[in-house]
Amino acid sequence: MERTDGILRMLKINYASSQDDTQEFSWKPVLKIFTFLEEEQANALAHDTRAVLQFMVIGKDNPNSVLNIITLARENGRSVQDHITKEMWQCINDFYHIMRQEKLADLFQQEDPITVLDNLIKQGLLYFGTTDVTMARGEGNSFISIGKFLERAIQSTDILDVKFSDMNYEMDKITDTTYWKYMLMSISGYELYLKTYRGGFEAKNVVEQILLNEQFPRSVIYSINHLHRYFERLKSEHNRSDYNQIDFMIGKIKSKVKFSTPDSIINEGLHFFLNETKKGLFEIGNKLNHNYFAYA
Amino acid sequence: MQTSELMQSYLVDANTWDEMYSDSSVREQYKNAVEFLEKLSIDDLNKREDFAKRLFMSQGVTFTVYSSGEGIEKIFPFDIIPRIITAKEWEYIEKGIKQRLKALNLFLKDIYSNQFIIKDGVIPAAMIYSCPHYLREMHNFPVPYDIYVHISGIDLIRNNDGTFYVLEDNLRTPSGVSYMLENREITKRIFPYLLPQSNVRSVTEYPTILHRNLVSLSPRQIRNPTIVLLTPGIYNSAYFEHTTLARLMGVELVEGSDLVVDNHKVYMKTTSGLQQVDVIYRRVDDEYLDPLVFDPGSMLGVAGIMSAYRKGNVAIVNAVGNGVADDKAVYTFVPAMIRYYLNEEPLLKNVPTYQLGKDEEREHVFKNIETMVIKKTNESGGYGMLMGSAATSQEIENYKAEVLQDPRQFIAQPIISLSSAPCYMDGKLKPRRVDLRPYALCGPDGIEIVPGGLTRVALREGSLIVNSSQGGGSKDTWVLAQ
Repeated sequence: MERTDGILRMLKINYASSQDDTQEFSWKPVLKIFTFLEEEQANALAHDTRAVLQFMVIGKDNPNSVLNIITLARENGRSVQDHITKEMWQCINDFYHIMRQEKLADLFQQEDPITVLDNLIKQGLLYFGTTDVTMARGEGNSFISIGKFLERAIQSTDILDVKFSDMNYEMDKITDTTYWKYMLMSISGYELYLKTYRGGFEAKNVVEQILLNEQFPRSVIYSINHLHRYFERLKSEHNRSDYNQIDFMIGKIKSKVKFSTPDSIINEGLHFFLNETKKGLFEIGNKLNHNYFAYA
Repeated sequence: MQTSELMQSYLVDANTWDEMYSDSSVREQYKNAVEFLEKLSIDDLNKREDFAKRLFMSQGVTFTVYSSGEGIEKIFPFDIIPRIITAKEWEYIEKGIKQRLKALNLFLKDIYSNQFIIKDGVIPAAMIYSCPHYLREMHNFPVPYDIYVHISGIDLIRNNDGTFYVLEDNLRTPSGVSYMLENREITKRIFPYLLPQSNVRSVTEYPTILHRNLVSLSPRQIRNPTIVLLTPGIYNSAYFEHTTLARLMGVELVEGSDLVVDNHKVYMKTTSGLQQVDVIYRRVDDEYLDPLVFDPGSMLGVAGIMSAYRKGNVAIVNAVGNGVADDKAVYTFVPAMIRYYLNEEPLLKNVPTYQLGKDEEREHVFKNIETMVIKKTNESGGYGMLMGSAATSQEIENYKAEVLQDPRQFIAQPIISLSSAPCYMDGKLKPRRVDLRPYALCGPDGIEIVPGGLTRVALREGSLIVNSSQGGGSKDTWVLAQ
């Protein structure tokens, strides 16, 4: 669900930005963040706004399309119905049926894409809100939150990595303010950026906000802090060693991010840092899967 | 019914420059948009118009009308058909405005210091000193970077051969720029994919440029200067604009009571104590800015702010005292200023203007009053004017009597017909009169004009008055890249 939210927001802002450009707009960075397309396939698609929107939202052959994610989420929800509230289940189920509507494809052809995306984003928000007000604060809730913040941390690292790889990680190469503006808008961080940094756009500030700002709900550090917080609630007498192992992994990555500064990250190499972080997050995800969900 | 029938039934008023049509064929710059619109049905168009209204409503782009104790939210009328300007027209407008602003800035600097322009006999001293907006308080005070007009909204109109004329300069606190930005967002929504197809230049840079200029004016050389937007408050009709600009720039929105002056420095009250303010983008008029210097009854201003300003501890945008260059009688001298300060011929023309303070000009105007529009020199927003062609003889007599009491405060201009543009109204395409207000930003690095502006529309048939307070609406304004 978190990924759906991320994808839809990214699409919405990028679409808005594509309408604002007299040059041809490229969707390549977005495709790189959220799909597994080969280079040539991505190139072929990159300049066709309608096709990209359809592919990312209702593309049946795109494993990471909103349609496929929601289908999976619904399958998951169905199998754990006894652990989630009825309202939540209905919410996911509704979302699924909306995604399955035939007319969605027509809407993307004829209507204003922002309206269509906005409506889908609202379905996701409904799910987040329903979860928040109905779900008991037990183990189930902790697992939901862990998944959410793990996904969010990975997304933010990915977005940063792709956007900076566009300019070969050269920090002083920021000339186009709209580039950063739309990127920050796509993760709802633009207003915060303006309030924090008054002197215009600098790569270092962007890095700082997305990695290290503890007040920014989509920053990597915020996500990891919350990941840790919910994980700590899983502590019990039975699974001591497994718990300690993952606790150690989260603690390690948390302190690595927390005790970095924009300067130290850039010196170390932004790409390297992001990659290491992402690797760490994936390892945590795999370990969680292995320890708590696998039938071993 | 298809939209193409609408296009065919569109009739241009005689003897008027129409932005879309020339001699019953569509102008080049409109072709792409017309082609797009022709594919839509009337139903479609109605739906999109409704959609635009809903969007304005949900984004809070509204003003409140109070009646019987209940507030009714109204939206400013927006016409869905864009107004389109060619790259060539824009290049000319841009040059013309830059030239004009350069001269006006020099004029303000001169008139508040050496007054060479008076000494050389280009402008009579009486003209300046009789203007109520000429402020003694601004004398011999060097404003930062010699910039007085940081933000201007020069109003342009076109007569029947398409020539651009400057109608007003609006050098004090021009408003409407938020509508330029919002209208574009709405067009994006109601006509998806049309903008990039049509090669329209973006206007979204406006807040970024303005913010950069504001930062550069900070008197303290620090990394994060404090910039505030000073608003008269929530009952001001442009309050929506103030909040929008503050949000887009990430600056604090304050009212007079949020600021305080101590030892010639301006501070903002915050939850963690006082914070020194470096730059104030004020949307409060001069006369309410400082109760110690101007109107002592003002609740909108900040006591002592002028002393902080004169000490150079805070920058105020636009500068105080600009009204003298905005005076409609002084306006007649702008072409002379351009020649005097820049030694150039003015690119943009002035509308011929008669000063009623001069006996022979007043007589001429009174004789031909049915072809004239008479305005007060210091009013704006379409208030206090008389349209000779539309007034009754009683109204004319009353107005004449008012003029004779203090003729200096009035000017007259021949009625210029204004160009027309197609508007979608009640299922039909009708010509309505429009003007154009591009917004120019002047900073230490020069003058920048965002490619676009606000096109205001006189929604009543035959009306020539576009002011929003007088039943005007607006259109999205496109400037094409080539």
